[in-house]
Parts: sequence; C-alpha cells; structure tokens
Amino acid sequence: MATFTAEVFQNEYLPEGATEVNAVVTVTSSGTGGVVASGPASVAEMIIIDSSGSMDMPGTKMVAARRAAQAAIDEIVDGALFAVLAGNTGAQVVYPREPGLVPMDERTRAEAKQWIDTIRPGGATTLGAWLDVARSMFLTSGARQCHAVLLTDGKQEGEPPAALDQALSAADGVFQCDCRGIGEGWVVEQLRRISTALLGTVDIVADPANLAADFGEIMRNSMARGVADVRLRVWAPEGSQVRFVRQVAPQVDDLTGRGIAVSPLIREFPTGAWADESRDYHVAVAVPIAPIGSERLAARVELVVDDQVQAKGLVRAVWSENTDLTTRINPSVAHYTGQAELASAIQDGLAARRDGDERTATLKLGRAAQLAHESGNDATIRLLQKVVDIDDPDAGTVRLKRQVAAADEMALDTRSTKTIRVHKEP
Amino acid sequence: MTDAVGETSKDATAVNGLDTSANSSAGGVAAAPASSGGDAACGACGAALRSGDAFCENCGAAASGGTTGSPPDSPVGSPADPSAAAPPTPESVSNPASMSMPAPGAPNCRACGGAVLDDGFCGTCGERGRLPRDHWLEAPAPQLAGVCDKGIRHARNEDGMALGVAGTGASVAVVCDGVTTAPQSDRASLAAARAAAALLLDAAPAAQGSFAARIERWTALLGEACRSANEVAIGVARTLGDPPEPPSCTFAAGVVDPDGLVAFAWCGDSRVYWLPDDGNAVVSVDHSLGAAMIAEGMDPDEAARQPGFHTITRWLGADSVDPHAEVVTLGPVGPGWLLVCSDGLWNYAPDATALAGRLAAARAEVGSFDPGALAEALVAWANGCGGHDNITVALARYQPSTTADATASGQPGRP
Repeated sequence: MATFTAEVFQNEYLPEGATEVNAVVTVTSSGTGGVVASGPASVAEMIIIDSSGSMDMPGTKMVAARRAAQAAIDEIVDGALFAVLAGNTGAQVVYPREPGLVPMDERTRAEAKQWIDTIRPGGATTLGAWLDVARSMFLTSGARQCHAVLLTDGKQEGEPPAALDQALSAADGVFQCDCRGIGEGWVVEQLRRISTALLGTVDIVADPANLAADFGEIMRNSMARGVADVRLRVWAPEGSQVRFVRQVAPQVDDLTGRGIAVSPLIREFPTGAWADESRDYHVAVAVPIAPIGSERLAARVELVVDDQVQAKGLVRAVWSENTDLTTRINPSVAHYTGQAELASAIQDGLAARRDGDERTATLKLGRAAQLAHESGNDATIRLLQKVVDIDDPDAGTVRLKRQVAAADEMALDTRSTKTIRVHKEP
Repeated sequence: MTDAVGETSKDATAVNGLDTSANSSAGGVAAAPASSGGDAACGACGAALRSGDAFCENCGAAASGGTTGSPPDSPVGSPADPSAAAPPTPESVSNPASMSMPAPGAPNCRACGGAVLDDGFCGTCGERGRLPRDHWLEAPAPQLAGVCDKGIRHARNEDGMALGVAGTGASVAVVCDGVTTAPQSDRASLAAARAAAALLLDAAPAAQGSFAARIERWTALLGEACRSANEVAIGVARTLGDPPEPPSCTFAAGVVDPDGLVAFAWCGDSRVYWLPDDGNAVVSVDHSLGAAMIAEGMDPDEAARQPGFHTITRWLGADSVDPHAEVVTLGPVGPGWLLVCSDGLWNYAPDATALAGRLAAARAEVGSFDPGALAEALVAWANGCGGHDNITVALARYQPSTTADATASGQPGRP
C-alpha cells in the first residue's frame, strides 16, 4: 500500500507589511510497489530509437542504439504492454508486427529483440511526428501509466518547427518521456522541452558504449513506479498570487505554468508516476497583508492520487514584530533558491557564450561556480570546470576556456538542473 | 460578545475535562495532565496526539478528550469538537470543491466569514480559526477564577495557567509565560503551570494550626512547585529532542488559605500582587534587567524605555541558569485580592497602585465580586490598550469568614 507524507520547511514569521511566503515541501512516497503492484497490464512502455541517416555516422551509434533498446526490453516486466518505434521521417513500428501494443512475455521479448536488429538508418529527425505516433498508440492501448524513452542524435528536421510544440501539447498528460541525446548533433533545448513537458529526464550519452546501461536504468526506474498520475494540488488564499511552484529536487523543474485550475483557489500540477522516492517543491505565494499577530495559511499543498488526498502540508504566515523570529532564514528555502539560480545561471551563461557575449557568459558562469561551490554541488563544479577555469570559487571569478568540447558544454547544459538535497533540519 | 462567552465556556470544559488534575488534584491526582488516549487525533488539524498532550503539538488546538464524546454545548465541527477528532475521511476531502465549501455546521472565519476547514484554517482567506488555547476561562470556585488570552499582537497564546482550590480550602493560582523566541514554549508554559498547581493543591497544609508552621510549609511547597515546573519544562525540551533554543517560561504562583495566609513565589517577570481592600498593596519584584535598573535607582519610567527592560534574568527551562523562585509570605491578611498575572496585563499598569485602580474600575464595571468576570474585564482592558502580549489574569478573593457572605452573594461592595 503506497503511502505519501508531506513535510513543510519554512520560516513562517513575516515582518509587518511583508506579503511573500516561501516554503519547501518535501513529499516522500513509500510502499508504491512498482508496476507489479499497480498491475502490469495497465502499464505501457514505448522505446523510440532514432534511425535517421545521421545514426550511421559513425555506424557505432546505430549499433549502440539497438543494444540499448534490447537492454530496455530486458527490464520491462512480463504483462506490461510495449512497442518499439524507429524514428526517421515519420515513425515506423518496429515491433509488434500487428497493430497496437503487446504484452511482454518470453516470446514477445525475443521477437522484439530480433526485430530491433533489423533497424537501419535513413531519413530525417521528425521529433514531433515520433511523439504523435507514440501518443496515438498509447491512447488506443488503454493503459493508464504510459512511458516512453526517446533516443536521438540529431536536431528536429524534416517537419515544421511548430510540429514539436503541437505534439507536446497533444501528448501532455498521455505519457511521460525520458530523452537521451547521443553524440553532439542534437539540441539540448529541444530535448529539454520534451522531457520537461512530458515529466521525464534528459541527458547526454557522449559515449555510445554507455547507452545500453543507461537505457536499462531508465526502464528499471520506470518499472519501479507503482502509482500513476500523482498530482500536486495547491490551494492559495483569496487575493493571493502563487508566484511559483517549482520542483527543486531531484532536479529543478518549474511547474508554475502547468497548473490546471480546479476551483478559483486551487490548482493542480501533474507530477507523473511515482516510485518510492522523495521530491522537494518550492512554493512561493504573495498573500494579502495582514496585521501583526495574524496567522494565516499561505498555501495548502496536497498530494492527490485519483482525486484522493494522500498527504497534506500547511504553509503558514505569521505576522510578528519580533525580529528574532522574522529575520531567520530557513535553510531549505535558501538552499533551493540558490540551486534554482544555479541552474538558470548555467543555462544563461552557456546561451551568452554561444551568442558570443563573453562578458555575460563570464559573469553568469562565475555566479554558477560560486553557487555550486557554496552548496557543495561537486558534480556541477566538475562539469563547470570543463567549460571555465575557476580562479576563485568563493568570489565567483572564472575565465572562459578557449577550447571546449561540444559534449562537455552539452553535459553541463543538460545536467544544470540537477540539484543536491539540502541537509534537513531536525 | 455572545460567541466569546460560548467559546469561553466550551474552552473551560475542554481544558478541565482533559486535565483531571485541575479539578481533582485536591484528591491527590498526579501532576501530569491525564492521558488523552492512545492514537487520538487532533480535532482541529488531524495530527496524531501524544498521550498526555493537552494541546495539539501541530496546531495548538485543545486535545479535548479526543475519543470521549462531545460536550453538549460544542458546536459541531468546531476545533474543540471531539467528533471532528477522527482524521478526515477520503470522501470529505477528495472533492477539490469541498476545500472551499463549508462543511455542515463548520464555524465561520473571523476575518472573512468563510468556512474554517478541518485543518483549522479558513478555506477562503486562510485565517486561522480560533483555538481553545487562544482564550479560556477557568473558574473552579466562586472565589477563584482566571482568564488566559492570546492578546492581539502575538499569533499564539504562549501563556499557561492552572488554578484550583485545595481540599483544605486554599486557593492556588499559577501563571507561566512562555518565551516567544524559543519554539514550543506554549507547551512548556502550560505543562509547567499545571505541574506546579497540582503539587501545591496536593500538598496544601490544613488551614488550622500554627500560622508560623503553615508559613514554613507553604514556603517549602512553593519552592518545590517551582522546581517541579522547571523539571516539566525541561522534560518538554527533551521530548522535542533538546533543541538549541529550548522551550522556556516564567513562573508565578500564589496561594491564599481560608485563615488569611497569603504566600507567593515567582521566577521571571510574571507577577503576583496582594491587593488588600485597605490599599496597602504588595507585589513581587521582577527578575529582569528592568527591575535591576530600578533597584539601582533609575526612574521607573526611564527604565521602561531602556531596550533591556523586558529581558528576564530568571526563567524555567533547559537553558536556565537560575530557575529558582523567590518567596513572599503575608498575613494574616484582611479582605482583598490575590492577583497572579503575566506581563501582558501589568505592562499597561506597571505600578501596583495603578493596577489596583484598574481592578477597582473593573469592579465598578462588572458590579460584582465574580473573579471570572473581573479577570475577563481586565483582559479586555489590556486588549483595549493594544494587546501587545499574551494576557493572563488569575484572581482569588479572600474574605475573612465573618464577611464571607459578600463573596458568595456577588453583591457590589467595597473595592
């Protein structure tokens, strides 16, 4: 039996006249039981492998992609529905050979692996069309927990650029999608747009040799998810404004624009399927001013599954004239404010660098180095060091490297949103 | 205020109903508040209550019996209503619309008139619903009553109060003022006050016998009560995992026995006044930097303007270096009032004469000797002055037996 808990970290004390309330809500799930618990027949998996012409340059990419698809197939539990797509100009169903998805079993697993070996490169990278095919197949499958993994080595081409956004808005709520880029010819922004809209992850796999292990892990993670369609429901008082709702761990993901109004004061934010895990959300609400001595709720934050509230956290606001209380800084809020700034500093810095604006790039990446250093985000520091020379991490003084491998820059960009967890208060 | 009266009597029911020591400690009930039962849940917020908690640790609502059934006068769905103690059923919270829809009989929000939800906050504007702890009256006997009130400028009531009349007839009143900057001081203050009152009520010496022996006994008991209150406050810190800023509180306790013995003790800046009808008031001397400045000759008005005036030099709790009570005994006294209060009251009348004047004004306003009505009037006056702090006022009337009828009849008489 899955259980959820919600814990709120905040300084609820506000000085006179203050209106902004910030809190970090940690949501933890346990006993979710994976797809076996939720019933494999209600779970559908799609493996989408880029088979455009560029996958043959070099040919090791196509070989690695086939191995990766087969590794993913090995992780899908018996009974779950699945299909394999080859993406080029449009998308072809590699397996099954009859319409729709098929349940995984010994026979279909073996057949699928054989058919995967027949994928040959050729054609364009029509990302939007691939997602459209996946969406319509998921919709007809009847499954309620749908997930795809998408591999590409190139940027969107062979279809109008708007096709991707159209495909994403159609796919919203139908399936989740993890994206992987292989090589250096793909565009981080495009895959991040897909993974963000479809509640998945994005990463670079620079070395084709690592792809199979990565795909196996992606599929294992998906199989561990036992509760589909979990929503974060946020109530905020009349006259207030929800400034943002942001997932801040394990990665930064701004949910603010993705809320669905369910009543004038309540919005729901889709969070996808959950395994046994813990996620942190940073909620900021501008509330109407209240007199000293008032105590009000700034937000009710609830985890909702099938319209049932599973866990609830109360974000409070207490107006006080006691400066000992109102000047305290909550470490969780401060930490994640910094981690979100770190992610945007990296993305802005890399964008400026691409645009040839070295001054902005140096400032932003310097700030990123400083924030990563302060918070002990060593993984990000290592990625930054491949793009800049860090002279003084405390002061945020860096110099742009003259020679940067494209893969290193893409790795920094894709992983910029990875945060480290704050050490919680007792 | 009609609803305030309703709220008040309900709160008193809730507090007395839970804390058996308040009513029966004369019979020797232990100091700790009675258990509220194994897996009880808070009626206001649904959080699990720990056995022995008088108030919900999560929201501060009174742990009103939990599983023992509703007092007849409790409005359904109010924070103190035990029928609301069960966690919300999925049906009652699953519909998003229900979050902003009044449940049948739900209390209305003071700020906007919306419905207060089962988490204790308004579903429209978010204002916290009134908690039993925000304001309550205890009136264990016609001659003894007290009111403990949140005031206006503080969000929570961190004052604690416990009253009772011993089997020997002695009135006992204890007030503890929780230190706002130390989290959970509201728990410490209430637990400490109750522990001290229970000890005093349990061990009260009979009123007959040598006056000197009784003075000696009460002096010892008041010291013990303060130690017991300190241990309880430290115990609260321990249950919280010994936080760096442990919950702490002041201590003030007063007793008056049927033979005119008055004894009181204090630690910190909560005060005890003996206000005899003939006007020669006696008051405790705060353990505070302000009191020290005045003792060194500073003009009291000037001292009150100094930044450290309210800094206390003694308190109860795990980080206290001097948790000891100072004791004063008087008597035999003539008719008068024993008043035990927190600084939320005396801040507006620091001088004993001024406070006696306020009491006389309240007497004129109330038109009786009813200590509950008088305490309410003094609390209302302090709120009228700004209510900058929590306000607790406990009053015990002493009337020598020849004129005892005046107390019972509640007739207006000499102040």
